[in-house]
Amino acid sequence: MKRFLLLVALAAAAGACAAQSWPSRPLRLVAPYAAGGPIDISARLLAAKLQEGLGQAVVVENRPGAGGNIGVDLIAKGPADGYSLVMSAIATLAINPSLYPSLPYDPLKDLRHVTLLVQVPNVLVVRKDLPARNVQELVALAKARPGKLDFGSGSTGSTGHLAGEMFKMMTGTFMVHIPYKGSAPALADMMAGRIDLMFDNLASALPSIRSDKVRALATTTLKRSNFLPELPTLDEAGLKGFDMTTWWGVSVAAKTPQPIVERLSTEILKAMDAPDFREKLRGMGSEPPAIRTPDQFAAFVAAELKTYTALVKRSGAKAD
Amino acid sequence: MEGIFHNLGIGFVEVFKLQDIALWGHTLSYVPFNIIMCLIGVFLGTLIGVLPGIGPVATIAMLLPVTFNLSPVAALIMLAGIYYGAQYGGSTTAILVNLPGESSSVVTCLDGYQMARQGRAGPALATAALGSFFAGCVSTLIVAMFAPPLAEVALKFGPAEYFSLMVLGLVSAVVLAHGSLIKAIAMVILGLLLGLVGTDVNSGVLRFAFGISELADGIGFVTVAMGMFGICEIIGNLEQKEHREVFTSKVSHLWPTKEDWRRMVAPILRGTALGSALGILPGGGALLASFGAYTLEKKISKYAHEFGKGAIEGVAAPESANNAGAQTSFIPLLTLGIPSNAVMALMIGAMMIQGIAPGPQVMSERPQLFWGMIASMWVGNLMLVVLNLPLIGMWIKLLTVPYRILYPSILIFMAVGVFSISNQPFDCFLMSLFGLLGYICVKLGCEPAPLILGFILGPLMEENLRRAMLLSRGDAFVFISPSKPISMGFLIASAILLAIITLPALRAKREEAFAAEEQG
Repeated sequence: MKRFLLLVALAAAAGACAAQSWPSRPLRLVAPYAAGGPIDISARLLAAKLQEGLGQAVVVENRPGAGGNIGVDLIAKGPADGYSLVMSAIATLAINPSLYPSLPYDPLKDLRHVTLLVQVPNVLVVRKDLPARNVQELVALAKARPGKLDFGSGSTGSTGHLAGEMFKMMTGTFMVHIPYKGSAPALADMMAGRIDLMFDNLASALPSIRSDKVRALATTTLKRSNFLPELPTLDEAGLKGFDMTTWWGVSVAAKTPQPIVERLSTEILKAMDAPDFREKLRGMGSEPPAIRTPDQFAAFVAAELKTYTALVKRSGAKAD
Repeated sequence: MEGIFHNLGIGFVEVFKLQDIALWGHTLSYVPFNIIMCLIGVFLGTLIGVLPGIGPVATIAMLLPVTFNLSPVAALIMLAGIYYGAQYGGSTTAILVNLPGESSSVVTCLDGYQMARQGRAGPALATAALGSFFAGCVSTLIVAMFAPPLAEVALKFGPAEYFSLMVLGLVSAVVLAHGSLIKAIAMVILGLLLGLVGTDVNSGVLRFAFGISELADGIGFVTVAMGMFGICEIIGNLEQKEHREVFTSKVSHLWPTKEDWRRMVAPILRGTALGSALGILPGGGALLASFGAYTLEKKISKYAHEFGKGAIEGVAAPESANNAGAQTSFIPLLTLGIPSNAVMALMIGAMMIQGIAPGPQVMSERPQLFWGMIASMWVGNLMLVVLNLPLIGMWIKLLTVPYRILYPSILIFMAVGVFSISNQPFDCFLMSLFGLLGYICVKLGCEPAPLILGFILGPLMEENLRRAMLLSRGDAFVFISPSKPISMGFLIASAILLAIITLPALRAKREEAFAAEEQG
């Protein structure tokens, strides 16, 4: 027993030592998507900031494939030494587990979630000539014409799609889902009047809302967005408790020593509190998240996983 | 018209503006900063265009954080420069070593490389540069003058119209080939099948992935193109032991001859027109431009028999078309705030992070930015032609490098390029596999170009077909309904084209049969 305790103490000491000298070499930050998307851009912004705080280079590495699963799996199964980070997101942590039946990692057990970086609300937008000026009128219209309205989304299993399913479930309406490859072509088809509505993330819909090409009816968050303060929330409009955001953050392998996780969390939060960084994230439609500690983030991931598992099941979406 | 000159005036003043720049703690006064950023952009663009695999999307993504410290105008001028600079550079490797770096330069391989084999790499490169320059200038003017009304045209294209356009594209893919009709169709179908690998858009189900997670997002275009063209060509070359061709021994001149000039003018004009028109369409329009221009030339040229054997028209038309398309693809971005491809999506990202909401209001709220960017495209195109023409001599010198040194270098560049896209060793294996497939196809007398076109168009076509059917709730007549004249027009054109292709072939077959009967 004594020997065992000694071993434990030694291991702990070694861990502490590693944590103290950490980081002694460059870090890598895996972005599990192709270069150029919002997650990749924010990874690059964060890497530049972290570099200042940690005194080590932070290299962004794009590892796209299988809806982001390949990149996340790489970190989940990789060494837990704090040198490998991944941009984890709602897709890879909350949606894909039920979308892909053979997910190679467990989003709760194989990963330690460090910081929630970005939270972007979705907005419900409708085509300009749709005879529905607010959410109640839209619900009435959908009930009067069941199966006639089309709602677009950036892809099957995206937050836009699942928000639509949630909307259908809560209002007891039926509308047809039209998936696109990315929300830009869906928005274009809405401007041309081919689809009736969609739930799009604020950043991509904002230009079209501001230039009056589409009409926004509500945001999908509990709180109103600072970008469109006059816009009601779905919760206010009668869909009580409707709360969906697109989010992403930083995770590491589950067994990463606690001191390193804490140091990482501190540094990322420092970056997020820097006015210039905050301003750039705002440009992507994100407000600073209220969730700040690793434990809060982990609890948030667990709750989201539960919500979306139920939603995906209902929507019938599947990737074999 | 006067308004245009006034606006372009604003733009040019912005581009040539002298600014005070803080650099490493020193303040430099009267620096033409925007023009310097334009030069850096087009230079970088040319460089990455020449390097296979490393495309403008990855480059712009990596440079985005750097641009945040620049003014919005300078940042966008530089990023745009990378984009259209890459269109120039992409043709260089296509012509010299049969390696399409970008999807738009696949067709340039067909005749450009053949010209190089005949010792006419110089004129081919010059034609590509001059054609691109002319097309860039004209289409920039189109963007400046007609952007808003043209954006409305882009909105007329829905799923049904796209589907019919893709059908027309596929039918013309058969025209691309100059061998057997059956083999061309077989290659198109093989391409379509390869395009289906990956996740189904509608249901999210994986298809033809065989449990390999690297295949879940489909096969990359660069992987296929580099294998089928680049690697296949190297295998073919190495096979001919000592008799390997030495291109340079036949180099007669670096510049196009008088005859070349005469023959390139009309294709450049037609290529520019077609490219400008198709470039406006988000969703594969710009990509179709170079294929469409090549097919058009092949159908109407007096020198149709030379196509695929080094016809200068086969370089002039697609190169003009892809550059024109690159410029006009800015129209949906600038007027609707809708990105027409991945590069444009990045430009939107860059604008938003700079605090600018893209869309029609940019034109009125920030005229310096809007017109400055348009004016910079002219200046950038001029820089590119000045940069590229003297480089031709250098590129030709590259061909004098002994092949035993040249081919391993090409292989390394290709491997690095393919690997850099998603950092997967798997992609390099896949590229080698496609090299082998390409080699087998060449031995069987099947050409890779129709396969590539099928590979690109297949997924787009399926996506739009299913979307149109979903929207019409399963009514197949939606493609030929009178309310969709554009879609109907494309389908009628496809039918006519199909008749033109097949009838002579059928007639020939029948004549053969008759001849056989008479002999028998």
